[in-house]
Amino acid sequence: MATKPIRGRISSTTIYLLLSVGGLISIAPYLMTLNAAFKPQSTLLSTQAWTPATPATWSNFTQLWHQYDMSGFIVHATIVAGAITIGQLVFTTMAAYAFARLDFPGREPLFWAFIAMMMVPQIVTLIPLFLIMSHLNLIDTYRALILPYVFGTPYGIFLVRQFFQTIPADLEAAARIDGAGTWGILRRIMLPLSKPILATLATITFVNTWNSLLWPLMATSSERDEVVTVGIAALQGQFASELHILLPAAAVALLPLVAIFLVFQRHIVRSIALTGLK
Amino acid sequence: MAKSLVASAPKRGGGRRADSRRRNHSRTTFEAYLLIAPSLFGFLAFLVAPVVIVFVLSLFSWNLITSPQFVGLANYRQMFGDSQTWHALLNTVYYVVLNIPLQTVLALLLALALNRKMRGSKFFRVIFVLPWMAMPVALGVIWNWFFDPRSGIIDHVISMFGFTGPNWLTSSTWAMPVIASVNVWQYTGYTMLFLLAGLQAIPQTVYEAAALDGVNAVQRFFRITLPLLRPAMFFVLVTNVIGSFQQFDTVFVMTQGGPGQSTTTMNYYIYQQAFQLFHAGYAATLSILLFAVILLVTFAQFRYFRKRTIYDFS
Repeated sequence: MATKPIRGRISSTTIYLLLSVGGLISIAPYLMTLNAAFKPQSTLLSTQAWTPATPATWSNFTQLWHQYDMSGFIVHATIVAGAITIGQLVFTTMAAYAFARLDFPGREPLFWAFIAMMMVPQIVTLIPLFLIMSHLNLIDTYRALILPYVFGTPYGIFLVRQFFQTIPADLEAAARIDGAGTWGILRRIMLPLSKPILATLATITFVNTWNSLLWPLMATSSERDEVVTVGIAALQGQFASELHILLPAAAVALLPLVAIFLVFQRHIVRSIALTGLK
Repeated sequence: MAKSLVASAPKRGGGRRADSRRRNHSRTTFEAYLLIAPSLFGFLAFLVAPVVIVFVLSLFSWNLITSPQFVGLANYRQMFGDSQTWHALLNTVYYVVLNIPLQTVLALLLALALNRKMRGSKFFRVIFVLPWMAMPVALGVIWNWFFDPRSGIIDHVISMFGFTGPNWLTSSTWAMPVIASVNVWQYTGYTMLFLLAGLQAIPQTVYEAAALDGVNAVQRFFRITLPLLRPAMFFVLVTNVIGSFQQFDTVFVMTQGGPGQSTTTMNYYIYQQAFQLFHAGYAATLSILLFAVILLVTFAQFRYFRKRTIYDFS
């Protein structure tokens, strides 16, 4: 009702038109990249980006796989992002529950210390992390990629704690009277109610890890454990203008996340709304 | 920030009860520390320790291979005299200024449009958030193709309107705006999602009361919507500004800091110093400068938002 005066002035049609143009701009790079990846090398540069790939060919992909260990890069990235996501879900949930609901000495200063560290730029920690990892002889191993981020991040703890605080405390009190302990409450009450925020955290963590470049670039140096970001950066250096190699690689790097997002999108959109931004 | 919901244990008298309460209390403390132990370990080992190390490292000269040499404040003296540092810092600020206002205004307009009850709004929300998850490295490859003067779609489209594109990525005027616009494309939808959440948290009754007072649309936006959106605006501005000051990936793939030094951001300059020139100690000093700048800017935003917040919605 409140929006009636606006509606009178700007017609719905105009808004739909603008939204459609915006939506097209949002997804066009995905569509054009996917389309171009199937164009034969000969027509890739001679045709416009939006003309359909007819005849479509897999030859770019086979050539990419021939010259490069794309499967390896994807497997490595999946292992690293998967391990970090699982670790973060478990450890972040635990810590967020303690910070949201348990009363313990040092809770407030510790929580604020976590929050303050959100402001530390990633580059500040990277050189010391390199130092630590090379002292432990872990450079060029999966452990170097996984360890720094598997225990949770202040951002994740903050996000989940905010959500936990929206769950009525009465539920928990009732469970305690019935004799449930902290673990029982966490497992049987908090977790089932927290699916949307955990799906959000999982997606954010997976996306950030899958896409991260700087630390993998520093921490890996052989194809044995390089992830797909580092692989594409290397491809870009090696095949600078060979689009029939680069565009299929970009398509392969982008699409898994789109799939994950489409599965979880309902949770994500809703839980951001629920978390409240206070 | 929201206050904790933990109710303190009710006070009860009596020796035995107080005893069992104390026992319960210490058990809760033990459990709480058990729950935060892994995160606390990760926090101390991979966040707090590195920050301490970076301060120590900034007093050393180190090529990543031979043992570090203590040089005192020499790195800091070098930094203040290094025109490339100030150039990189200025580039970073320029990038943030190009990126943040445009992205925030677009996200706000989108959020306002999608906050109306209309068909397809859920569909559009999903579509607009999709760019957020694009891998910046892969994206760099794609946008390099789009901005290519020969085969790129951008030049082709503007040529249909009779314009000729500059050589976008080899022009020191255009390279940074191109990088900023790539990031506007990527993060506008994600920012919109948070602003939309903020809009939906505004109680409808406020608007109904305003409608009775005969408030027009413009007044409604500036007097009600914008002030009540402040918490969400604060969140997106603080996190986006912190993120933007750390631009690296797009620069790394699209321009490598060039042409000349025109897209060398602080993060890229620190990376070059540490891992291409092997000046790890100096890079540590530079990262402290970046840290200080981010802290300053974030602190300023906290001050600004606190001063201007009329209503307390925490």
